[in-house]
Amino acid sequence: MIQVDNLTKLYGELVAVDDLSFTVAPGEVLGLVGPNGAGKTTTLRSLVGIVRPTRGTVKIGGHDLERDAVAAKRQLAFMPDEPHLFDYLTVEEHLRFTARLYSVPDVERRLPALLQELELSDKARVLPPELSRGMRQKLVIACGLLHDPTVLLFDEPLTGLDPAGIRRMKQTIVERARQGAAVLLSSHLLHLVEEICTRVLILQRGRMVTIGTLAEILARRPDLAGKSLEDVFLALTGGAGDT
Amino acid sequence: MIDAALYLSRRSFANALRRRLQRLRQPKYLIGFCVGLLYFYWVIARPGGAARPSIGAALPGGMAAALGEVAAVGGLAVVLLATWVFGSAETPFTFQLAETDFLFPAPLTRRQVIQFRLLRTQVPLLISAAFSVVIFSRGHLDARLPLKIVALWIVYLTLQLHSAGAALLRGSLSQQGVTGVRRRFVTLGVVAALVTGLWLGLRASLPAVVAAWAESAGAGAAELARALHHGALGVVLWPLFALKGPLLAANVTQFLAALPAALLVAGAHYVWVMRSTLAFEEAAVEHAGKVARRLEARRRGRGDASVGGSRGAPRTFVRLAASGRPAAAIVWKNMTGALREFRLRTVLLLVIVIVAMGSALGSQGSAAELVAVLALSLSGLALLFGPLTLRYDLRRDLELLDMLKTYPLRGRELVAAEVLAPALLLSAVVGLGIGLAFIASLASDAPLPGLGDRVALLVAALALVPPVLTVLLLVQNAAVLLFPAWIAIGPDRPTGFEATGQRILNFVGGALALLIAVLPAGLVGGLAAILVRAAGADRLWTGAIWAVVAAIVLSAETYVGMLLLGPVLERLEPAGLR
Repeated sequence: MIQVDNLTKLYGELVAVDDLSFTVAPGEVLGLVGPNGAGKTTTLRSLVGIVRPTRGTVKIGGHDLERDAVAAKRQLAFMPDEPHLFDYLTVEEHLRFTARLYSVPDVERRLPALLQELELSDKARVLPPELSRGMRQKLVIACGLLHDPTVLLFDEPLTGLDPAGIRRMKQTIVERARQGAAVLLSSHLLHLVEEICTRVLILQRGRMVTIGTLAEILARRPDLAGKSLEDVFLALTGGAGDT
Repeated sequence: MIDAALYLSRRSFANALRRRLQRLRQPKYLIGFCVGLLYFYWVIARPGGAARPSIGAALPGGMAAALGEVAAVGGLAVVLLATWVFGSAETPFTFQLAETDFLFPAPLTRRQVIQFRLLRTQVPLLISAAFSVVIFSRGHLDARLPLKIVALWIVYLTLQLHSAGAALLRGSLSQQGVTGVRRRFVTLGVVAALVTGLWLGLRASLPAVVAAWAESAGAGAAELARALHHGALGVVLWPLFALKGPLLAANVTQFLAALPAALLVAGAHYVWVMRSTLAFEEAAVEHAGKVARRLEARRRGRGDASVGGSRGAPRTFVRLAASGRPAAAIVWKNMTGALREFRLRTVLLLVIVIVAMGSALGSQGSAAELVAVLALSLSGLALLFGPLTLRYDLRRDLELLDMLKTYPLRGRELVAAEVLAPALLLSAVVGLGIGLAFIASLASDAPLPGLGDRVALLVAALALVPPVLTVLLLVQNAAVLLFPAWIAIGPDRPTGFEATGQRILNFVGGALALLIAVLPAGLVGGLAAILVRAAGADRLWTGAIWAVVAAIVLSAETYVGMLLLGPVLERLEPAGLR
């Protein structure tokens, strides 16, 4: 599970994330939404160890990300919105590389099936510059899922995917949660959040505006009864940003 | 179209200048700018610099002029030859991504698109020409300066067009096969005629030139100059003489007299390239777009896109074992990247350099001595320049810091793995060279030290090379970790006074750090050497013991360095790289 306590991240004078606390339990999909510049990406990056929190703690599967970083990182997978790959490693080599980094057993047996599942079998010996953006995104996701992480963090997971890929991605997220993974998903696509997330966290200017299921949020704001997540979001954030 | 290109060039230049001035507010750029400025002042206009006599001044009048002419034409010939031997199928008309997106869909003909790009590249060419002239004038800034800038710009423009023509020919042949040969029949015919003429001319003239050199240097230079102007060589080399004419003109009259011929050569190249480009049609333009995207990917730091061309499945040099230490995956990744970037053409270039060095140093000896000299030259080059040029470590990977920081590895493991990959590769190259030289020495009949002594030297060298290379690489990686904003990360190289200044400071800092690292190792090794010498060991074996002990100390220092740098990497954030 993910446990965040009083997470604060400052960049000089700028408060990117301000005293944020929440948890994501196993089997849960938490949607992280907010206008541009709300601190979503900084939050995600703090949760995977890319940036260090100025204050507060992050625990992944019970391991403190600061004090026991390696154990925490072994349990998580981060899928950024921009697929970053090494241009000099082939598709198959990326998977082998990731398998070795995370000590994944039985990789020889799993690789062909994984490549087939991703429709990348005929691209196994191809370098990333020759792949479309969608294929590169698929490869990043495959690398992320290879070690069966118990904590999954997605930043705009549907960017660049074709309709079939989008459907498969949504199924994967839901399936992983059903198998017991804690999932945190950041997206501007509110219909996606509404469709697959069990709870929503709305962030604005680094601070949490609200958290809960849509029903819980609506219960706290009776004036928004019957409204969609999009209406709720715009009402709570004052229509700020371009989401 | 010309207005649009000029507007874009003007605004790009003005905005780039403004941005550079603005960033001088940051100390790292201001200090770099001041150091860079001082460096260029020292190179160009330091007091007494202009008074230094040139090499030509020491030669007799006629000989200096003849050699100057030969050097200019020879230099141009080498550049052109390199274009054909080492050039790629990528034309210099590489569009920026924004240009492809704006220009290709715009209502412009292909000719206009190519002309647009050509026009855009002239501003940097002109700046380069001005800079080169000021640097090489060594403080002699006189009224001929603008003429020299124009003359050099014509040379650069022609070389650029020549490179484009060669690339288009190469691209046409590789992509269109037999059709390409048919379409390029005229160009291929001209190239074949030039090569034949050059060969025949050299065969006819060389004996007389060699004989004249044997007589005297002055006679040799005069005969060489005569040979280059006459017969087949004169015809083949005429364009080069025409190009260098305005550049070597002593006054305005000479410049104006030489200008039409130089412009004719440049113009002929322009017509050749435009015709080639238009004949190549879509491939050239589409290729330009693809290259733009690949370069953009490289600029964003996702590795070297040059290896990402559609040249079939990449070679696998070492297969990564499915199990083992996770950090070994980083070592394997970087070694794979470095080996894939290593091309046959690079080997060829290396062999040419080594052969040149070998023939200069080992011309009097046997074949075995030549091999030994070549092998040692290769080792020396790899030892000196390898750690600076082989950047498959944190200097490249920090562009993907986001990704690195999610790996389940401790900082010190990451640092060690990143440094070890190039260290292992370079150690293998240097060790191979040294080993080959040792084997070659066994077949040599030259008066060399005895076999036992040579074994001692081999042991000393093989013991020292890996730790020395690792320390050199660790210093480079420590610099990028401790001062990430000061070092170029990824394949991009910043330019300008401030970048030059930063590089000088980095170099000085790196040299100091290296000195500090090597000193204790040298001292401890020296202590051990004194002890074994006192115990009766001979001079060379004492040296070997010194090397082994120094290597052990260096290795220990490297280990401590990695331990110290680990937390630095863990604390480093992407924002810290800017």
